[in-house]
Amino acid sequence: VSAGVAGGNDFQWCFSQVKGAIDEDVAEADIISTVEFNYSGELLATGDKGGRVVIFQHEQESKNRPHLRGEYNVYSTFQSHEPEFDYLKSLEIEEKINKIRWLPQQNAAHFLLSTNDKTIKLWKISERDKRAEGYNLKDEDGRLRDPFRITSLRVPVLMPMDLMVEASPRRIFANAHTYHINSISVNSDHETYLSADDLRINLWHLEITDRSFNIVDIKPANMEELTEVITAAECHPHQCNVFVYSSSKGTIRLCDMRAAALCDRHSKFFEEPEDPSSRSFFSEIISSISDVKFSHSGRYMMTRDYLSVKVWDLNMENRPVETYQVHEYLRSKLCSLYENDCIFDKFECCWNGSDSAIMTGSYNNFFRMFDRNTRRDITLEASRESSKPRATLKPRKVSTGGKRKKDEISVDSLDFNKKILHTAWHPKDNVIAVAATNNLYIFQDKIN
Amino acid sequence: MIMKGQKRKLPPEDVEVSDRTSLAWESQRQFVFSVSLSKYQRGQELPEPSLRRSVLIANTLRQISLEPCRAPPVDMELSLQSLPCSSTSTVQAKEWDNTHGGTVTMQNNHLTLASPPLVSSCSSRRSHASVPLCSEDEDWESMSTDPDFSLSAAISSILSSLDSTIDGSSQTAARTPLRALENLSDGGVSALKQGLRWSGGNWEQPEECRARENISVEAMRSSYLGDLTVDDLFQDIDTSLLERDMGGMWRGSADGHSAGDDLLRYLPSFTSSQSFSLSLNQKCLPSFSSFSPSSSSLSLPLPTPSLFSNPSLMRDGLELDHLMEILVES
Repeated sequence: VSAGVAGGNDFQWCFSQVKGAIDEDVAEADIISTVEFNYSGELLATGDKGGRVVIFQHEQESKNRPHLRGEYNVYSTFQSHEPEFDYLKSLEIEEKINKIRWLPQQNAAHFLLSTNDKTIKLWKISERDKRAEGYNLKDEDGRLRDPFRITSLRVPVLMPMDLMVEASPRRIFANAHTYHINSISVNSDHETYLSADDLRINLWHLEITDRSFNIVDIKPANMEELTEVITAAECHPHQCNVFVYSSSKGTIRLCDMRAAALCDRHSKFFEEPEDPSSRSFFSEIISSISDVKFSHSGRYMMTRDYLSVKVWDLNMENRPVETYQVHEYLRSKLCSLYENDCIFDKFECCWNGSDSAIMTGSYNNFFRMFDRNTRRDITLEASRESSKPRATLKPRKVSTGGKRKKDEISVDSLDFNKKILHTAWHPKDNVIAVAATNNLYIFQDKIN
Repeated sequence: MIMKGQKRKLPPEDVEVSDRTSLAWESQRQFVFSVSLSKYQRGQELPEPSLRRSVLIANTLRQISLEPCRAPPVDMELSLQSLPCSSTSTVQAKEWDNTHGGTVTMQNNHLTLASPPLVSSCSSRRSHASVPLCSEDEDWESMSTDPDFSLSAAISSILSSLDSTIDGSSQTAARTPLRALENLSDGGVSALKQGLRWSGGNWEQPEECRARENISVEAMRSSYLGDLTVDDLFQDIDTSLLERDMGGMWRGSADGHSAGDDLLRYLPSFTSSQSFSLSLNQKCLPSFSSFSPSSSSLSLPLPTPSLFSNPSLMRDGLELDHLMEILVES
C-alpha cells in the first residue's frame, strides 16, 4: 500500500462501482447499516435496516482489461434477522443489522457473525457446484421404489452444476442482552468473541450458544445514577486477553481478562483532558465516542467522536497522539445539530491495511481521509454525479469563511440527511467501500 | 421539529460573543434546556428509548441546571468581577447559535429587564461568602449540599419556559424583576436530579425521594403571600391551556381554584419561616400519579427571557410543579 493515500501528489482515488437503487425514494429497509471486508478482502459484506445481508465477491481481473482491478459482484444475499416481538415488554425488536464481523477463513466455507439489537447469528456461506446424480431409488415420477424391487446397487456420481452459494445459520446466540447490542468483535484466538450493549459486555464461545460470560457490567445498582453507557468495544488484534470499550463520556477503557473474571476495573483508562476554552453544553455529547478500532499492528487505537478522530498510543493514556478534525466547521452549529438530532449520529472510522491512513464519514455524502505520515487530508464525495467509470474523484472543500470560492460548498448548504456513517477499507489494497444511505460506493486507487 | 409558537428558522451562526453577556448566554441556555426537556420527554414516550441518547440528554439537562454555579476559567474571573452580572459558566458563547433569530427584537426589549434578576442574584451570591467557587470537575453532589448555593438562573429558566408555554406568546409588557427567586439554593437542582429518572424500557422507577435540602429565599416572606388572594394569583392564567396541558394534575374546576388549593398546600412553609423547600416531597405536591401520560406531550416552545410579576410567581410555582411532575412521572 503506497504512502500518501490522502491528497498525495501521485495518488488519486477514482470511482469503481456503485450498488443499490438510484431513485430518490429510499426505502427504509434498504438503508445500509454496516459494511465489512473479510480478512482477505475477497468478500465485502453489507447489512441493512431490513435485516438482510448482501455479500459481494471480488472477481478476478479480466484478461482484457488488466489495468483495472476486478469488480465486486453479488455473491450471496440472505435474510439474516427478522423483526421480532418481545412479548414480555411489548416491544418490537428491530431487524436492522448493527454489525457484521467476519471470522478468519479456516476451510472452503466462509463464516460471519451478524447482529441486530438483541441476537447474534453465526452464518456459514458455502459454495456448491456439484450435485450427486444417478440414484436408482425413485421411480420416474418421483415415488420411492419398493426396496424389494431394487435389484442393483448404483453409486451416484457427482456431476457439475451451476454455482450455488448457500448461507445457513449455524449458531444463534440469543437472550444474553437486555440492552441494545452496539458491537461484536472476534477474538484473535478465533474461538471466542465479545458482544457489547449499552451497559454490558459478554464473552462467547463460538461453539456454545446457551451461555455467555459477562465480563463488563456498568449498570449501576440504582438506575437513577446512570450517567454513562458503553458505545463500542473491540478485541485486541493479537492479544486475546485484551479488549477495549468506549463510553458516552469520551473515555476508553482497556481491560485484561486475565486480571479478573469481571473486568469492571480497567487496566488502562484513556481520556483526553477537556479544553476549558471550548467547553459548551454540548461538550459531553460531542465527546461521546461512536467507534473504536485497533490498528492492524495492535499498537494504536482510533476513536471517533462527533467532530474528530483521535489516534491513541496504547502506552499513553492521558492524551491521544494524533487528532484529526473531521468537520470542525460544525462546532458553531452544535445547537442546531442538537435540535435536529444530528448530534447523535454515530460515525464509524477505519484504518487502511498498513495503518498509514484513516478514513471516516461526514455529512453531504462527504468522507474524509487522513494520511498519518504526510499529515495530509482529503475530502471526497460519494455521489452519482461523479460516478463515471474510473472517473477521478475531485477533492471537495467546505468553505468556512465569508467568501466562498468556486467549487466550494458552504456549511449551510450541506445536506445533513446524506450522512456517511459506515466505511470500510480493504485489508491489503487501496480499495474502499462507502455506504451512502442505500447505496454502496466502491472506490479504488488509480493504477497508472 | 417545530416548537409551538416558534418561527421555524435555522438559528444563524453565532457571532463570537467575547464578553459573554448573560443575556445571550442565558437565552441560549434556556433554548437548550427547553429543547433537551422536550427531547427527553419524547424519548421517554417511545416504547424503547435509546439509552445512550437518553443518558446524553439527561446529562445535558443536569449540566444546564448546574451552569450558574460553575466557576469561570481563570482568565475570566477578572472580567466576571467587573461585569454587573456575568455568567459564571464556562460556556463558550461563541459556540452557541443565536437561537432567537426570529425574536431578536424581543430579546432586545428584554435586555434591560432580563439582567436585573441575575444581577441581584449575582450580587447576593457574592455576598454569601460561603458560596464556593466551583471547579469544573467538582462533584455536583457536594455542591448540592451547600445551602447557600444559588440556582436562580436555573429556576428562572425552568419557569420562563413554562411561562411561555402557558402564555403561548412572548411577553412584551414590562414586569418587575424576579427578585423573589433570589438565593434559591440547590433545591431546584435536587428536584431536577430526582426528576431525571429513567423510566420505560429497562429503567426502574425510583422508590423514594432523595434527601431534601432547604433553601432560603429572601423575598419569599409570609407577608408577601398574605397580600394576595387566590383569584389574584390566577387572573393572568389562561386556564384552558393549563387544563389541556396538565391533564390530571388539575382536578378541580376550570377556573383553577382547586389548583390554587394545591398551590397553597405546596407552599406550606411560607407562613412559618423564610425557608422554601423546592423538594419533591409527595405530601406537599399534587399527586403525580394523576398526571396522565397523554398530557406530557406538551411541547415547550422557545422560551423568551420573560420576567415575573408577583402573581406570576405563584403561577410559576405551579408550573415548576408541573415540570417536576413531568420529570418524576417519566
